[in-house]
Amino acid sequence: MTVSRRTSRDETQTVREGAATAAPSQAPAGTGLELKDLTKRFGEDVIACDGIDLHIAHGEYVVLLGPSGCGKTTTLRMIGGHEEPTSGDIVLDGQSLLGLTPDKRPTTTVFQHFALFPHRTVRENVEFGPKMHGVTKAERRDKAMNALEMVGLTTMADRKPSALSGGQQQRVALARVLVMEPKALLLDEPLGDLDRLLRLRMRVELRALQRQLGLMFIHVTHDQEEALSVGDRIVVMHEGRIEQVADPYTISNRPENVQVAAFMGDNNIFEGTVSSQEGDRFVMDGGDATLSARASEGEVAVGKPAAVVVRAAAVQVDEDPVGGPNQLLGDIEVVEYLGDLVKLHLGAGGRRLTAKVAGDRYPEFQGREGSSVRLSWKEEDVRLLRA
Amino acid sequence: MSGSSEPEGRPGLRVEEIAEAEQVVGGLAPEEAALGEKERAGARGRKALTTAAWTAPGAVWLVFFLLAPVLMIVLVSFWTRTFSGFEAVWTLDNYQFLFDSNVYWDQLWSSFWHSLVIVAASLVFGFPVAYFLAISVSSLRYQIALFIVALAPFWTSYLIRAVAWIPMMGRQGALNTALIEVGLIDQPLDILLFSDFAVTVAMLQLYILFMVTPIFFMLAQIDRSSLEAARDLGANAFKTFREVILPQSMPGIVIGSIFVFILTMGEFATVRIIGGGTVSSVGTIVQTQVASVQFPQAAASAVFLVLAMIVGVFVLLRFSNLREEL
Repeated sequence: MTVSRRTSRDETQTVREGAATAAPSQAPAGTGLELKDLTKRFGEDVIACDGIDLHIAHGEYVVLLGPSGCGKTTTLRMIGGHEEPTSGDIVLDGQSLLGLTPDKRPTTTVFQHFALFPHRTVRENVEFGPKMHGVTKAERRDKAMNALEMVGLTTMADRKPSALSGGQQQRVALARVLVMEPKALLLDEPLGDLDRLLRLRMRVELRALQRQLGLMFIHVTHDQEEALSVGDRIVVMHEGRIEQVADPYTISNRPENVQVAAFMGDNNIFEGTVSSQEGDRFVMDGGDATLSARASEGEVAVGKPAAVVVRAAAVQVDEDPVGGPNQLLGDIEVVEYLGDLVKLHLGAGGRRLTAKVAGDRYPEFQGREGSSVRLSWKEEDVRLLRA
Repeated sequence: MSGSSEPEGRPGLRVEEIAEAEQVVGGLAPEEAALGEKERAGARGRKALTTAAWTAPGAVWLVFFLLAPVLMIVLVSFWTRTFSGFEAVWTLDNYQFLFDSNVYWDQLWSSFWHSLVIVAASLVFGFPVAYFLAISVSSLRYQIALFIVALAPFWTSYLIRAVAWIPMMGRQGALNTALIEVGLIDQPLDILLFSDFAVTVAMLQLYILFMVTPIFFMLAQIDRSSLEAARDLGANAFKTFREVILPQSMPGIVIGSIFVFILTMGEFATVRIIGGGTVSSVGTIVQTQVASVQFPQAAASAVFLVLAMIVGVFVLLRFSNLREEL
């Protein structure tokens, strides 16, 4: 990474910083990456991506999150030029990338299985990009060593990739794309090949690196926790469509619809019929459970079906009964101790529910499988889901 | 003879084994390296013994079927020809004769050159086939199916394949007839059979799979996402080939070249059949000498053939560090 270029990027970044963190999607028009009605079909029947509209600002860390087959990787591959969209447009800083081969695009990709060149040393791997762009030997060596320093691998420069651990190979893959000073860095399940502890560490490093460089990162993963951990914004995808785009807190606490709530996990989804509505409050009859929640005018109608969600962490177990709706009895099926918290898997009238309570309450629940507990939650923790 | 040379072979193996074992010990963690000198020597001895046991069958095989015959040839080349064969009387006459024979050296050189041409041609024609099979065909099922189809000629004896060239390439052969029918030529082409060209083409067809196969296996191992990574990092299709695909297929190219070079360098059957009487090679010279019961002379001719092959293999090996890259 040359000093001059880095400085210029830092300047633009500082200008952007304020706006980016507050409302990243409202960057000045014409800059950043714009996906316009992006669609990809494979053959006649398979729609991998179905009209993706998304704007990503420079300096923003965006995560494309979804189950396998949701189109997140296809979207990333189309941005990188490894897949041509069937229709729609990809615009970076006002210029369409369509029709450009990957080598002509100002984007670089970190591939899931690292995709290092086994016949080249670590340094030669990192030098590859600059070499392809005709950078002189001395200069690309400097760049490579700088990039390796960023990922803390200078001492490994002369080894072959096969002599490195998975985590180190991952760093080489990162250095190899960082040296290119791309406008957008695309990461395709970058931590998928690492074991859990390494994954936890690398995601923090990725986040720190992105903050330090102020680069646009687009990160594809199916791991909810990883997405929440690294992203400024999370794009939840399902069957080729975007279900919700929001910051991690909103995604986690206010999933917009059933798909997002279900995919994010540890959410209790209740479906039922609206039985009454007064002002901004409504009561939903979900068979054996009655829930009350808030909704603005027109969002629900008496007699119409509705779905609400209560996060597992918002479910209170065996606490003072408050009366009224938003409580029911449940049978403990499995007590899962996870250190900081205890996850209770419950059955309530054919419904399966999950509750998370603090880890220090484990002795209270240990061995209580089969016994009945009182479940309750606050009205403000019940969220209406969009159909 | 083989009985006496086997014990000689074993200590050689053991020395190498110990050297390797020492390297391993050198890289051990401190606690293991701190083992007593005695235990280490003991472990080393046991490991060397196990390795020797594993290598023994192969070593015996090599001694009987490679070392012994080669030694025999070298010995016979220094013996004297008799009316019905040879006797163990030392002489340099056989070599004297070779050194005085321009025909032999011309032939050795032309066979060497010929083999290099066939190696180059099989690389030029074989690489695209291997590339297509390994890289362009994406489904493993089709890869295997097509590879078996490519192997089909090997289901028959190579002599039959060589003979099959005659009805194909002869004056009245299929190709000449077809060319005349189409009107491309008036007279049958003589070059198609009983010529240097015909021998080269036939050998190319007979041996090209020895080039295709190792290259195919090397190419098939290349991680396709590394090709995408190359494109991503700014390499166009050609540079991706030159910088990523070609270096990784180098061991296959070298191994294939060695196969084709050695096999064609000593060839005599194809030369006889396709070349008729008009083409000769070192192989046919040796064969003629054997046929006229000049065993010591044939042995001396063969010795230089083997030396030429060794030189060729060493040159080819310089193109790739097989030990490291395989």
